[in-house]
Amino acid sequence: MKRVVRFGERQVSLEWKAGGGRIAAVIDSRGYEVSVLEVEPGVYSILAGTRAYEVRVAGGERKWMVQSGGKSWQAEVIDPRAASARRGGLGREGRQVLAAPMPGKVVRVLVEEGAMVEEGQGLVVVEAMKMQNEMKAPKAGKVVALAARAGSSVAAGDELVTLE
Amino acid sequence: MFRKVLIANRGEIAVRVIRALREMNIPSVTVYSDADRASLAVRMADEAVYIGESPSAESYLRIDRILDAARATHAQAIHPGYGFLSENAAFAQACEDSGLTFIGPSAESIRKVGSKTAARQLAKAAGAPIVPGVEEAVAPGAEAHRVAREIGYPVLLKAAAGGGGKGMRRVDREEDLDSALRDASSEAERSFKSGEVYIEKLVPRPRHIEIQVLGDRYGHLIHLGERECSLQRRHQKVIEESPSPVMLEYPELREAMGEAALRVARAAGYYNAGTCEFLVDEDRRFYFLEMNTRLQVEHPVTELATGLDLVKLQLEIAAGKRLAIGQKDVKLSGSAIECRIYAEDPDHGFLPSPGRILQLREPSGPGIRLDSGVYPGWNVPMDYDPLLAKLAVWAESRPAAIARMRRAISEYAISGIQTNLEFFRGILADAEFANGRLHTAFLDDYFARAARDTGPESDLFDIAVIAAALHATAAKPLQQVPSASGSAWRRSGLRELMR
Repeated sequence: MKRVVRFGERQVSLEWKAGGGRIAAVIDSRGYEVSVLEVEPGVYSILAGTRAYEVRVAGGERKWMVQSGGKSWQAEVIDPRAASARRGGLGREGRQVLAAPMPGKVVRVLVEEGAMVEEGQGLVVVEAMKMQNEMKAPKAGKVVALAARAGSSVAAGDELVTLE
Repeated sequence: MFRKVLIANRGEIAVRVIRALREMNIPSVTVYSDADRASLAVRMADEAVYIGESPSAESYLRIDRILDAARATHAQAIHPGYGFLSENAAFAQACEDSGLTFIGPSAESIRKVGSKTAARQLAKAAGAPIVPGVEEAVAPGAEAHRVAREIGYPVLLKAAAGGGGKGMRRVDREEDLDSALRDASSEAERSFKSGEVYIEKLVPRPRHIEIQVLGDRYGHLIHLGERECSLQRRHQKVIEESPSPVMLEYPELREAMGEAALRVARAAGYYNAGTCEFLVDEDRRFYFLEMNTRLQVEHPVTELATGLDLVKLQLEIAAGKRLAIGQKDVKLSGSAIECRIYAEDPDHGFLPSPGRILQLREPSGPGIRLDSGVYPGWNVPMDYDPLLAKLAVWAESRPAAIARMRRAISEYAISGIQTNLEFFRGILADAEFANGRLHTAFLDDYFARAARDTGPESDLFDIAVIAAALHATAAKPLQQVPSASGSAWRRSGLRELMR
């Protein structure tokens, strides 16, 4: 089976064969033969030779949080056959969407639709867990859409302000 | 002793108080908001009373509802924990007026030192050294500009009623003063229902060291030594220890600071547990900052170093018992360290990371103490502090305690939300941390010098890639069935792959 795994900053290609509780895998050009056991839901005990690892995988639809040895990564696993279909359609030239960095509540909206803003100017203040985070304009431009409303709750990734 | 005690708090500290009560055979009542119906504290308490919607202003800050809950359950005393109403003199007064015992100092003592500005005046009069600055809250505008200019930049803005870095801002340049004042004041207003802010001189690279005091209602006051709390991020403590590394070298500093703390406590007519916070500069001059009129978050390191149970002592003192120990009986032994485990994302500027905890493995074994308020499946609410748990260790020496903490962190795993666990691995391996030369900007320096170790070429990385790919592939049939992660479906998917 072939997969492309985007792991933190890096992208690696992985090919593996499974059988009899063992997995033979090639990552880039490095080969592994490992024994894998899912000891708890999402918790894998992996033996590579005598070397023991425990890996935790949790979360998402396509995105996973992977933890092992005290390190953690955000992983996205892509079936290479489906990958080309998903490319393209990203950010239009010159348009910047400011999204909520965390789930929380919009406490203040500092601009109005149609306003011209400077780079670094505060646009929206989002609060979660008693911490306020002022979202600043990544570049100078015009506020073409303003989805943020003071007092409303937002999820991580929700659009707040669109600049052009 | 009390027949029943209500805890006006939530999270790990509610659990901590329930544990003390259970050991003393006293039934516990906890209160909860909408977000906390399924909390660990509610699961563990003997009784639980609903007090309102999730925002703390509608629940944990509602004096009326908390008093109603106490009356309805026939509780005789209220433990306020830390944060929320714990340093609110009106709450302590309302308890007293309702015939309930407030487990803490008198309302009068809270009023005397509860506001930082009042505490500064009191400390000055009692002969404890203070940081140069003003004792009164300043009004924004020209007045603030004049005061800040007189003190000299950089200055620090602080909430008069505050703590924990809420409503605190460092201001380096005059042009930033107005916006900093506005932010500090509105944050203070929300957190403490008082927007009053004062200004003091910024002491460069200080240690933050605090002295635990304890007194009974009959004027017997002692101190339980210090806690070093210099490792802070945005004025929130991250790692605390007792004893302080500087006291290991200069034990006479403990006596001097302990005496200063007792002077302040005596001047306030203080009883129960309280803490005097100090800054200590590079020449080991110390300045009284403020007094926290409650149990501190980091009390476990004092408990581990002294062998005393502060919560039980608080309960006994509140019930009118005499404190049976004297200053000579207090000895700090070995070394205790605590790490505050927060729901936050170190990769994205430590932004809060609320959400559901999917997996949890907690450390255990020799010398480990875990004060946690979470469990697998718990949805960490966005409405409150991001503190999940406090991991504390004790060992015979500071290096042994650091090694033990590293071991404990290696056993600790939380997934589903982002936490600062990984950050501790780095800091505990840091040579500067090991040599104990700490100051409040230590972490800024640390982040600058510690390039993040991504270790992309290691076997660990590859093994993790394999697990992720396997997990994602086996989970395929599940993608139409959200929230069933880890179910039998997925397991059969994995078995299918492995056949």
